[in-house]
Amino acid sequence: MREESVKKILLAAAVALTTIFCLGPFIYMVLTSLSNNPDFLLPTKPFTPTLANFMAVISSESAHFLAYLRNSLVISAVVAVVTVFLASLAAYALTRLSLPGKTILLLSVLALSMFPPISLISYLFKLMSALGWVNTYAGLILPYVAWTMPLSLWILVSYFAQVPLDLDRSARIDGASRFQTLIKIILPVAAPGVFSTALLVFIFAFNEFLFALMLTVDYRSRTIPVGIALFEGIHGQIPWGEIMAAATITTIPVVILTLLFQKRIVQGLTRGAVKQ
Amino acid sequence: MKNKERASSSIRDRLPKILSPDREVLSGCAFLLPLFLFICALILLPVLGTFLDSLRRDLPYLPTTFVGLDNYLAIFRDAAFWNSLRFTTLFVLVSVPLEVILGLIIALVLNETFPGRAAMRAMVLIPWAIPAAVSGRIFELIYKYSYGVANYCAHLLGVGPVNWLGTDLGAFAAVVIADVWKTTPFAAILLLAGLAAISEDLHRQAQVDRANFVQRFSKITLPLIKPVLVVTLLFRTVDALRIFDVIFVLTGGGPGGSTNAVSLFAYTYYAAGDFGYGATASVLLFVVALGFSLAYIKMARFGEELL
Repeated sequence: MREESVKKILLAAAVALTTIFCLGPFIYMVLTSLSNNPDFLLPTKPFTPTLANFMAVISSESAHFLAYLRNSLVISAVVAVVTVFLASLAAYALTRLSLPGKTILLLSVLALSMFPPISLISYLFKLMSALGWVNTYAGLILPYVAWTMPLSLWILVSYFAQVPLDLDRSARIDGASRFQTLIKIILPVAAPGVFSTALLVFIFAFNEFLFALMLTVDYRSRTIPVGIALFEGIHGQIPWGEIMAAATITTIPVVILTLLFQKRIVQGLTRGAVKQ
Repeated sequence: MKNKERASSSIRDRLPKILSPDREVLSGCAFLLPLFLFICALILLPVLGTFLDSLRRDLPYLPTTFVGLDNYLAIFRDAAFWNSLRFTTLFVLVSVPLEVILGLIIALVLNETFPGRAAMRAMVLIPWAIPAAVSGRIFELIYKYSYGVANYCAHLLGVGPVNWLGTDLGAFAAVVIADVWKTTPFAAILLLAGLAAISEDLHRQAQVDRANFVQRFSKITLPLIKPVLVVTLLFRTVDALRIFDVIFVLTGGGPGGSTNAVSLFAYTYYAAGDFGYGATASVLLFVVALGFSLAYIKMARFGEELL
């Protein structure tokens, strides 16, 4: 019994510490975005709540914040749909067709994600420059689709493998083509898994930094992480309130997605890594 | 083993299949074609291109020339490169164990039943979901010398203000803490999945046998989650080696190049138009990442367990 009570106290302490650890910086960001001065922790500077930072960020023409946000949302959504569709095709082939060398293929695709992105970016930059696609949506979407493909394939294969083979066998007997079987049978049955994958791809694309830094130039395609990283203000002093307001607006969509679909995200993440 | 049987028996079947492909293989190729195209054009070709670049002198306004291993010879004599490699290695050796240990503690907590556990599981994902560039910016503010919350807490604890971003040690700690905050949730989530797979009966039986918490952890939990632990270490190491976003935002590689990660070292050359030298650093980073991966794979032989 003594072990039980010691355990209870330890658990409560650990829960409290974990909460502070995870939420602390997030809360500090929100507080700063709502304060008229970023140095509100100094005893001489009281915390005065204001929405001025948010107004400034949204209305400022030169900061292009809304353009960055729109670029990020559009690019990430397109990448999520395209990657999941193309990876589904491949996952269908790997789980439903008897092909030579399937295992090796899957392992080599996974091995691709070992490459550091820095070892791709110079060539991608040259390629996109040659095509005239630097600073366009296509110039970011195509590398993102390729870059998120291995993980998506890996997760989708594990979901598709769980769809009973009898389902698509009977569809095939009824005269459906392989493509129809994938679209009408497997994708709907594996819908939760497909959705998790799309969600993960969206978040990865939304958060990506290095490619976006090298392949975009201005508000026409620059994504929000790069926008916030390079945001320095024009008056010399770093406008922390505005940066944190921009950061808050940016994190809110991802945080809501994460909280709503926590189970799906965890499932998708662990699918790739933990065999259950 | 099943795989071996399949391999030996199918060599004969396979040859004619490739020579006169049946419809199944043909449609398989069709389904795999988009994946192949994307991966070849936008991953394999770029990696190959970077390797070729590392054998060239490729500067703006000058003709590109093949220089063999000159870039490698130069980079091995470059103190700044060794400095960035040393920082990157140290960063991995400090941050990854911290992340995995903290992640394991959080996973153990989340694996218990207590009120509010579901909310807690969702909350843990928040640092993971925030873009690293944005969290870098948050930590930049946290470390502000005169009014940041880090020195505010230091003050409450009775410690003098720390010059986080202005000293070598402070900047190293700053980068490690920011990265630990951002990536520990990922480790925790993976490890939690491993813990959840352990049968309750094992622990109950051990409790009946009067094994205490430490014994249960070291004799049951640890051996059973070893495969997940190795996968987590591998993922975290590969990811930590390529660290870029947080450092770009937080320290810019400073002060005095003391946090200049290899990715940032290479990026600086790319940004200046020196593609040959930047590519050389990238190739070497890739080699280091490969070395780490092979070491882990050998350690756990986890290739066998994956499929």
